[in-house]
Amino acid sequence: MKETPLSNCERRFLLRAIQERKRLDGRQCYDYRNVRISFGPEHGCCVVELGKTRVLGQVSCELVPPKPNRATEGILFCNLELSPMAAPGFEPGRQSELLVKVNRLIERCLRNSKCIDTESLCVVAGEKVWQIRVDLHLLNHDGNIVDAASIAGIVALCHFRRPDVSVQGKEVTVYSPEERDPVPLSIHHMPICVSFAFFQQGTYLLVDPNEREERVMDGLLVIAMNKHREICTIQSSGGIMLLKDQVLRCSKITAVKVAEITELIQKALENDQKLRKEGGKFGFAESIPNQKITAFKMDSAAVDTNNVEEQAEEIITKADPPSEVFAKPILHTPGTAQIGEGIENAWGDLEESEREEAAEEEGESSTTAFECQRTETEDTSMMNEAKDDPIVLSDSEEEEVVILEPQEVPKKTRPQTTLKQESTSKKAFNKKRRKKRASR
Amino acid sequence: MVLLPRPTPGPVPSAGPSSSLSRCPRIPSPGGTLSPLPGDTSVLAGLYGPAEVKGSRESPDGATVEVLLRPKVGLPGVAERSREQLLRRTFEAVLLGSLHPRTSITVVLQVLSDAGSLLACCLNAACMGLLDAGLPLSSLFCGVTCALDPHGDIILDPTARQEQEAHAVLTFAIDSAQRKVLATTTRGSCSAEEMQRCLVAAQRAADTIFQFYRDCVQRKYSKS
Amino acid sequence: VGAPRPQRSPRREGPGLLGPCCGAAPLRTVEPLEYYRRFLKENCRPDGRELGEFRATTVNIGSITTADGSALVKLGNTTVICGVKAELAAPALDSANKGYIVPNVELPSLCSTRFRSGPPGEEAQAASQFIADVIENSQIIAKEDLCIADGKLAWVLYCDIICLDYDGNILDASTFALLAALKNVQLPSVTINEETGLSEVNLKQKNPLVIRKHPVATSFAIFDDTLLIVDPTAEEEDLATGTVTVVTDEDDRLCSVHKPGGSPLTGAKLQDCISRAITRHKEVKKLIDKVIKSIKPK
Repeated sequence: MKETPLSNCERRFLLRAIQERKRLDGRQCYDYRNVRISFGPEHGCCVVELGKTRVLGQVSCELVPPKPNRATEGILFCNLELSPMAAPGFEPGRQSELLVKVNRLIERCLRNSKCIDTESLCVVAGEKVWQIRVDLHLLNHDGNIVDAASIAGIVALCHFRRPDVSVQGKEVTVYSPEERDPVPLSIHHMPICVSFAFFQQGTYLLVDPNEREERVMDGLLVIAMNKHREICTIQSSGGIMLLKDQVLRCSKITAVKVAEITELIQKALENDQKLRKEGGKFGFAESIPNQKITAFKMDSAAVDTNNVEEQAEEIITKADPPSEVFAKPILHTPGTAQIGEGIENAWGDLEESEREEAAEEEGESSTTAFECQRTETEDTSMMNEAKDDPIVLSDSEEEEVVILEPQEVPKKTRPQTTLKQESTSKKAFNKKRRKKRASR
Repeated sequence: MVLLPRPTPGPVPSAGPSSSLSRCPRIPSPGGTLSPLPGDTSVLAGLYGPAEVKGSRESPDGATVEVLLRPKVGLPGVAERSREQLLRRTFEAVLLGSLHPRTSITVVLQVLSDAGSLLACCLNAACMGLLDAGLPLSSLFCGVTCALDPHGDIILDPTARQEQEAHAVLTFAIDSAQRKVLATTTRGSCSAEEMQRCLVAAQRAADTIFQFYRDCVQRKYSKS
Repeated sequence: VGAPRPQRSPRREGPGLLGPCCGAAPLRTVEPLEYYRRFLKENCRPDGRELGEFRATTVNIGSITTADGSALVKLGNTTVICGVKAELAAPALDSANKGYIVPNVELPSLCSTRFRSGPPGEEAQAASQFIADVIENSQIIAKEDLCIADGKLAWVLYCDIICLDYDGNILDASTFALLAALKNVQLPSVTINEETGLSEVNLKQKNPLVIRKHPVATSFAIFDDTLLIVDPTAEEEDLATGTVTVVTDEDDRLCSVHKPGGSPLTGAKLQDCISRAITRHKEVKKLIDKVIKSIKPK
């Protein structure tokens, strides 16, 4: 499905509102939308909501051989997916420009900032290291994918626990969660992206643009920073020139926002941990507020399965038992056999004729070629009649040619006679072919 | 739990998406009591349509149904493709597609968490999605997974662990009109008698799920 | 009413069910469904089969000399060839005592006009998954049998199933071809030299694989929501409102009941399918036994 383009009047309206320092959703220029973090049932799974933008983050791990130039380091791999789930304009599996851009940014924010200690992921140097994979799925698109994805990525990494391992010589033992408690990753710092949209060549600035605002913006500045006010990545796109002061101002705003979001993340993580310890309910289904009209929940319900057996028995006894009559397999040559059902036939004769044929057609590899003839059940009876004739190695194509001759098959005749006629005509045909061959 | 939000901001296009989050109702088997374990399977379903269709996929007889199943980890593979085919053909069987010729109906299913009975949950989420989008259907359907434990007892709606321990796992899609089997797929091996027993149990469980659907929709359209 | 479909292979006209005034060929082109219904009403099909009748099944084993095991199966016009190639590899970390079986179904563009060349389409991928499921569910081969040295060396069996002529019921033909090819596999004996730690392959001494179970698939097409016909052709599959595939083994256990959507069926109808599948299994088992016996050195 194609994206619905923005109309000119919508565009003008949005821009004028921005000039008047107003935003459609009632926010101030420097306001960030509400961030909501919920965790999935297993470790390393979270959903981050930034207003209506929703991103699912899932971290998984695997033991792999390390990269040859970094033998003692684990691998961190990030991948963001934009499926049509988020917006109808996204095509599945297509590497769109937007996707490549966002993925690159997330990679720089999470991997290149060395936020997780990759050296602690090494199990056996040069042989086995943990590969940590971060899968991010955009569930709903309402602008500012980068920020939401970066938060989801780092939250999922903080929440994740990998299985414990022990090494004895070169033997690696991976423990299941029951045997040993899984261990968290060691996180150095938490980089978080904050996006700024610029309008009218940088005259106006908005923090955390939504989808509409992104469509009319001139340029975008993304700053990734951690709570220690260290800039991890900075990227300006859209081809606008920014003054030094503007960038400085943005970085100051970033510092404030990052501090707020980091605090929120830590609170959410603590909360979840507490819940898990207490054995309370968690998971997405639990995090959906129950008072919503559109949400509904059903607790477990018992299903009466008492006389299931009887009912099943009834069906089986009523059904016809498997037939005891089988077609017998017929061996043509060693390694080739056939069952054709419902035809009574003197197959022995057929075999003979084939053997003759095989002798005649020396050199041609035998078995597989024969089968073509036997494909249709009718052929067999036909071949019987023609047994005194050496059968030409022909395939079903020919008999089709025969049928296609208009005078051949009068439709009124009964099936058997039709068959006979056909086979005789076929016989004649074969004879013709034979003559042709002989004359060659 | 089912969530039926309209996720797209701003004006929703006429062929707007609707989405539903379905959690399989957990149905304990009569023998053992099964406490609702923390962490159930959840699938998010998003639906677009009837909308314009690409030229090559256009069908003059009815709507073209497209199903996308997105796994949580990694990219969709052969297993997802095979499930997409099963889901698509199930939808096609109940959708009155001839009412919307030359259009496309896209169902996107995103796995949020898999704790067993995933395919059944996909079916339920998708049916709620179809229902929420208001597409004409000949009947509803639901997915039920049954596992046969080593003693041959039926476990309805098994967890991932129970699925692993079972000697056979059967998933049925049951229609609401006559409780017939729309789709089925099995893992492991079982006797014909065991399969029939599972089927009867699944048909019973279907009643519970259809009641759940009814309650959901009633709640959605009632003022509270 | 279905659109006219291109006729792939003009085949023999059926018995004279249609009145003299009504030519069958145009009806078949214009109203293929109506054409079929007239036959089905009389409990037969345009190619002369009864509803519960399979097409002639032919199997040839050892068709490819370069493969470690191979078989060619014909089901009417549907032709499928399966080659098994064995390679040595290290077993996976979490299952150190197991080998691998890697099935793949290919539907190249040469086998039907409906397929295009390029990456495998949905049908090919679904068929590959079906075959993988059948292998897994039936335990046709115990993967432990493929292991040579725990955690060090195991066999990988690449089972490539290629369709040469597509005329419906690809699943039955593929399953049978796979079984026949696996029965035909001869693996050289491999020993690990304890001094050097290297593996030594003895190509002169070959052993057949241990086949634990014999899964056989039986497919049905559902016509007009109620009528079940066995072993559908491609044309029948197109006109049908659904398909069911039942896989059974020699103990009459179900290895797979695969119904990917389509018209709903009752439990009783499914039971009919299972009964038919059990009969079919016995026939195919006899066939494969006979073929295997025929090539055994006397």
